[in-house]
Amino acid sequence: MSRFDVKKGLSRRTVLRGLLGGGTVALGLPMLEAMLNPNGDRLANGAELPVRFISWFWGNGKKNDKWNPDTAGVDYELKEQLAPLAPVKSYCSVLTNFDNKAGFGRRGHHDGVAGFFSGHPFIAIDPNGANYASKFGGPSIDQVIADIIEAKSPTYLKSLQLAISKRVTKSEGPTLEFLSHRGPDQPMQQTFNPMAVYDQLFGNFTPQDDPSGELRVRMLDAVNEDAKTLEKRLGAADKLRLEAHLEGLSELRKQIAALPPACTQPPAPGQDNNDVNGNEPLAEVARAMSDLIVVAFRCDLTRVVSLQHNGSVGGTVFHMTGTTTNMHSLSHDEPGDQAHVNGAVVQCMESFSYLLEQLMNASEGSENLLDQSVVLCGSDCQEGANHSSKDQPAIVAGRGGGALRHPGIHYRSDNQQNTSDILLTLLQVFDPSATSVGSAEGLSTNALSAIKS
Amino acid sequence: MRIIIGITLLAPFALGLGLGCTGTIGDSEGVDALPPGVPPASFAPAPATMRRLLGRQYRNTIEDLLGEAAALAAEAPSDVSLNGFDSIGSAQLSIGLNQVTGYEDSARAIAAAAVAERTAVEALMGCEPSGADDAACFRSFVERFGRLAYRRSLTSEEADRLVGVALAAAEAYDSFDSGLEYAIATVLQSPNFIYRIELGETDPHDEGRRVLTGTEMASRLSYFLLDTTPSETLLDRAEAGDLDDAEGVAAVAREMLEQPEARATMGAFYGELFKLRDIEGLVKDNELFPDFTPELAASMRGETLALVDHLAFEEDTDFRVIFDASFTFVDPTLATFYGVTYPEGETGFVKVSLPEEQERAGLMSHAAMLSLQAHSDGSSPTLRGKFVRESILCQTIPAPPNDVETSLPPDAEYATKKEKLQQHMDDPSCNGCHRVMDPIGFALEGFDGMGRHRTEVNGVVLDITAETDDLGFLDGPAGLGSVLAEQPNAVRCMVRNFFRHAVAHVEVDGEKAAIEKIDEAFSTSGYRLKEMIVALVSNEAFRYVGVER
Repeated sequence: MSRFDVKKGLSRRTVLRGLLGGGTVALGLPMLEAMLNPNGDRLANGAELPVRFISWFWGNGKKNDKWNPDTAGVDYELKEQLAPLAPVKSYCSVLTNFDNKAGFGRRGHHDGVAGFFSGHPFIAIDPNGANYASKFGGPSIDQVIADIIEAKSPTYLKSLQLAISKRVTKSEGPTLEFLSHRGPDQPMQQTFNPMAVYDQLFGNFTPQDDPSGELRVRMLDAVNEDAKTLEKRLGAADKLRLEAHLEGLSELRKQIAALPPACTQPPAPGQDNNDVNGNEPLAEVARAMSDLIVVAFRCDLTRVVSLQHNGSVGGTVFHMTGTTTNMHSLSHDEPGDQAHVNGAVVQCMESFSYLLEQLMNASEGSENLLDQSVVLCGSDCQEGANHSSKDQPAIVAGRGGGALRHPGIHYRSDNQQNTSDILLTLLQVFDPSATSVGSAEGLSTNALSAIKS
Repeated sequence: MRIIIGITLLAPFALGLGLGCTGTIGDSEGVDALPPGVPPASFAPAPATMRRLLGRQYRNTIEDLLGEAAALAAEAPSDVSLNGFDSIGSAQLSIGLNQVTGYEDSARAIAAAAVAERTAVEALMGCEPSGADDAACFRSFVERFGRLAYRRSLTSEEADRLVGVALAAAEAYDSFDSGLEYAIATVLQSPNFIYRIELGETDPHDEGRRVLTGTEMASRLSYFLLDTTPSETLLDRAEAGDLDDAEGVAAVAREMLEQPEARATMGAFYGELFKLRDIEGLVKDNELFPDFTPELAASMRGETLALVDHLAFEEDTDFRVIFDASFTFVDPTLATFYGVTYPEGETGFVKVSLPEEQERAGLMSHAAMLSLQAHSDGSSPTLRGKFVRESILCQTIPAPPNDVETSLPPDAEYATKKEKLQQHMDDPSCNGCHRVMDPIGFALEGFDGMGRHRTEVNGVVLDITAETDDLGFLDGPAGLGSVLAEQPNAVRCMVRNFFRHAVAHVEVDGEKAAIEKIDEAFSTSGYRLKEMIVALVSNEAFRYVGVER
């Protein structure tokens, strides 16, 4: 019975590069530096510096008393779970007492992640006696923004989906398994292995004198013709699926035809996200992924990234806090102050802070990458123990190219306003003409002025 | 004559749990005097959707078409499960750039390996190329290979396109082989290969539904029973009309079930349903379970699959025995784990009885199931109960509550899981689910997080009896096993699990009466799995698809 499963592993490209020793050249001038005006505040052609978007997620919530600041405004204090943000605090606005109105109490975790990151109530897939499953009710905000950026100034990769902990819940549908969704039926596969991410960023460039590039495009054209013929026979649902497939083909075609970025290719990360003695190298992978995000932004290979630190529910064990039990079980079963749940949240925020620091330390002309980014950080419930969609943790980081308030503040909503208001505010950084986000209970037409500059 | 299949055991539940288990089978003595074999007008199947080949099906298909070396190079994008089945995800979800890139990568590697290895490719060519640009020889290859890969004959436009790609590559590299390589890689990226297109033709008796064509039926049958593409012979037979009626389908299915691939396919199905395929990657706490190695995990999986194979194929007997078997199968590794002597002179898995004091009986006391349905640092009555409810009894667990504090009181200390979970069982906001799941797991508390037998925890002697609302009193693992073996829901659930996997959707109302005929055939056969499968594939709900409204 050897025909069971396809072995998971590195892609051939990554393996090949590993065998060849990979790039060993130090990071050189970022592409954009070469294209700036003398002041370093615009591109040489007069266009504004690019603004990037990151959504950053961890599963199973916070602990209210160790997270929520007591005072509002700029001088808010960083309690234990937010303490790791100290070096980047001026770039962070902490938002409390909002209500994820798209998550109105149908199913814990599903409500929280889908509503917070898309503004659409999730779609329950009628189980009819089968396992419960759900999917997002609409595109996640990163994909809405990716489309806007793509229309104005397309990049090599429209967006990049990353994940750190491999112990993701796969048995309850795409809502819990994936963070990014182009629509209800198109969850975006995420990459767990930093080596494979490196491959996605740099693996497709073909030397000009290699005929394989042109032939690969020719193959895709033939496949495209097949798909167009097939499409005529399909029902409405399948047509949408095939169109998504065609969109993937056209993106791949564009990549094959692309010239390598003007920036120097950095060395491959020495991290493949394999367990060490049964433990996931969570912190190490988070650092490697953060470094890759910085590289992707510096080389302008993509402007949109989503990162799932640990999935909703999930089986992630934060072993560095001295526990052998996964965070989700602890959130329901750890008595008292839940010291290990607290430790897990602190660990998440350390990894989040590392990303922000790396962005802040990467200059781009007269600014840095964090000045030129919008980062949305959130979870799937208020506290893991109560599954509540009210007062879910929310941080907005980065200056958004000057659109977002700096220094950041603690803003406590006095009327439990919709978390979709946050999404609309961030969307307007990329499309000032946007007037709404989400749908049904989650719909927002009301941006949050408190975090605008 | 009306046959009432009434199972009302779940009636006392106010949980939205039940299966809708009370049903009737319609009068089959035709109301409209339809010709024999034509399903009644009330039969309304779900619309067909394209099904992306599952990872295992993709790999097997490549092996059958292009040989072992090519299969080693194959790497399909991951499957995504919906409602507990990869096949349902494969029929509903879309793919994007990441998977398209994965398919391209895999197609190019397969093509290179296949052309380098030659045997299979040459067999498909049927010609000797006169030069790098021998268009006729390319055409001969793509027509034959394309028919096998698309599971139907190519249109002339499709063949032209492939020959065009082959000629361009042959010219660029001045090599016929390069042309072959690019033609193969194109076929393997085509949606006609990646997706199974089973759209059918309008049913002459009912415009609201479509009947699968012969080659579509060959494809559906072959992927369901053998996890691979239909053979050239089967496609020929399908085109000759062999699969045009239920009897023909049943006859071919019986032949297929005698092939060794059918047993591997059954193993893959149970590997998915019982999560056995995850066991080698299962992580256990190193300090608490130092013996839990990938090698032992593989042996645990082997035990459960050996029991499935024994009941379904070797003995072809009452499959309900899986729940309460008094015997099991061990290899040398597992014999040591269970503390039994492995018979001399044997190899592989052999049938044994386990020591009585361990009180093991049937599936749920297999080490694999107990390890999989547990936490990394110990047993979990909740997870074990949830698995039985969802995968064995086809019951949906309702949502956990929102806005309710579910954590345990401060400084709580409990010697046993049962005591600890009693908190959830007593809390009215939690017990809706926990009363359903936990008691089943209490009956299995005599096994730790990797399935080792134990009689006490933290100095407290375990009580492995439990009371359930619907299944009655459970007297340890043997009690649970015999209750499951007698549960009408358990056999109905088996049928539905196979059905959902086979047709890639959860049954719709218009299919329910048809599926009850499979239940009936299963029962009539004395619960022999192969007979149930033959009844399933010759059922209208397998042979027809609906029309999207």
